[in-house]
Amino acid sequence: MRLGFFLREAIRSIRSNVAISIAAVVTVMIAVFILGTFIPSYLYVQSTVNQEKSRLDIQVYVADAATTPQVSALQGSIANLQTHGQVKSFSFISKDQALAKLKSELSDQTILSLLPNNPLPASFDVIPVDPARDSQIAAALRGNGAIDTTMPGQGIDYAATTTNRLLSVAKFIQYTGFVLILILLIAAVLLIGNTIRLSIFARRREVEVMRLVGATNWFIRWPFVIEGIICGVAGAVVSVFALYLAKVFIVQPWIDSNSNQLTKDTASTISFSALAAILIVAGGLVGAFGSGVTLRRFLKV
Amino acid sequence: MSTDSDAELKSAEPSRSSRRPARDTERRIDRRSLLRSGDGPMVTFEGVTKRYGTDVLGLDDVSVSIDAGEFVFLVGASGSGKSTFIRLLIKELDATEGTVIVGGRDLGKLRRAKVPYLRRGIGCVFQDYKLLPGRSVYENIAYALEVTGDAPRAIRRKVPEILSLTGLSDKSDRLPNELSGGEQQRVSIARAFVNHPRLLIADEPTGNLDPDTSIGIMQLLYRINRTGTTVVMATHDRDMVDKMQMRVIALEDGRIVRDERKASYATVEQ
Repeated sequence: MRLGFFLREAIRSIRSNVAISIAAVVTVMIAVFILGTFIPSYLYVQSTVNQEKSRLDIQVYVADAATTPQVSALQGSIANLQTHGQVKSFSFISKDQALAKLKSELSDQTILSLLPNNPLPASFDVIPVDPARDSQIAAALRGNGAIDTTMPGQGIDYAATTTNRLLSVAKFIQYTGFVLILILLIAAVLLIGNTIRLSIFARRREVEVMRLVGATNWFIRWPFVIEGIICGVAGAVVSVFALYLAKVFIVQPWIDSNSNQLTKDTASTISFSALAAILIVAGGLVGAFGSGVTLRRFLKV
Repeated sequence: MSTDSDAELKSAEPSRSSRRPARDTERRIDRRSLLRSGDGPMVTFEGVTKRYGTDVLGLDDVSVSIDAGEFVFLVGASGSGKSTFIRLLIKELDATEGTVIVGGRDLGKLRRAKVPYLRRGIGCVFQDYKLLPGRSVYENIAYALEVTGDAPRAIRRKVPEILSLTGLSDKSDRLPNELSGGEQQRVSIARAFVNHPRLLIADEPTGNLDPDTSIGIMQLLYRINRTGTTVVMATHDRDMVDKMQMRVIALEDGRIVRDERKASYATVEQ
């Protein structure tokens, strides 16, 4: 391919249309910045929702005094529920594992060293097929000798009342978040396409002349596509830089100030480098498609 | 104008430098453009009608044939169909009825994707020059060669060649808006001819130029014709047509009303 020639043509056209090129870069910049703040926020919210969802699991606490046959009997009845399709899966969490998990959720772990011994009970973490039917599972397990009835919910703990509400909120957040991202993306593409259309409209005479001397459509189109990629990537890079500043000087201090409390936030979101890569690639693609597609109108005849 | 300028117009013989490239590029053109070589007519219109919308008639049942190597004037008032004729030749428009054949190709059957290749074999010159603004004279001409995929070395050789042929050697780095109308038209002709097309069409090339400048442009087109290139020129320029005494096709309301060899602009002899 005549890459050198097309590249030179693209750079020439950016330089001879500085104002419009800057407009395109700024448009991409704004769109990418909004997207760049929205994507990690959305993922953060989703991660939080998933964590909350895991609290819908049924905790079956095992008494410290329970004998091995009692515990295996309890395990047997949970397994029985699983074969009947009421329990999706379950796992045994020993006292040590429970302590380790608590440790990971604390900011100040020295607190634990003050304890004389491990106060946490072992438990079965039972994940129901349908959280709305937690009570039936609880009823089926009740009465087993291994269960520590001094624990909340008389040893079988599940959040019956909040279950349904939390589930519907989670669904709502997921769907609206997805739709919002979609709307944002479409708006960005339209905005960028419009800016590029302006730039091409300003040069339609030039395109007409190119056609007259026998340039094929792709010969005319490549420099425009490359120009779109350059503007798109430039806008995205500026925007990623702005996002980085925002992360370091606004978001990070805010997170730190919240983590000073007893517990820390374990909800995760996308890593910055992955986000930057996605945004830059998206900027380039949007620029390329914006100019390539818009040019179609001027390439007929 | 005196009869001297008459002789001056036609005496402009092609220089040696213009003949040579014309010959050695003959094979190249046939490979790259769609125009077929051969002794048949360069352009054939068979019962061509062009309607715009339902009731505006551009051309009305036109049949005409132009041989390879001819110089033809297309004359007529504005709206007589000259531009329609020209635009049909480069498939900017499609005939509503009838067939347009250029260089042995039926344009009605030519796929749209092939149109650029057709145009590489046809040089086009327009009243408004249609140069690329913001590009120097050299770059404007080089663009026509880049389009055909010429190697950089070939471009560096051919552009100065055509610049000297058209008398633009010292304007190579100028931008179009720094040139006079006549100079811009020379650039336009240089670009049209740099690929050595077998057909060159000119739509009112002297329309915006004063008579003296027009003569220079006319000489250039005549020299190009003498290298074997067929030239079809639409014009209003009565003096020029009368002096040249070439084939004249007169259009009126989309019909051919006269087609004479070695003729003047009007039927009435002056």
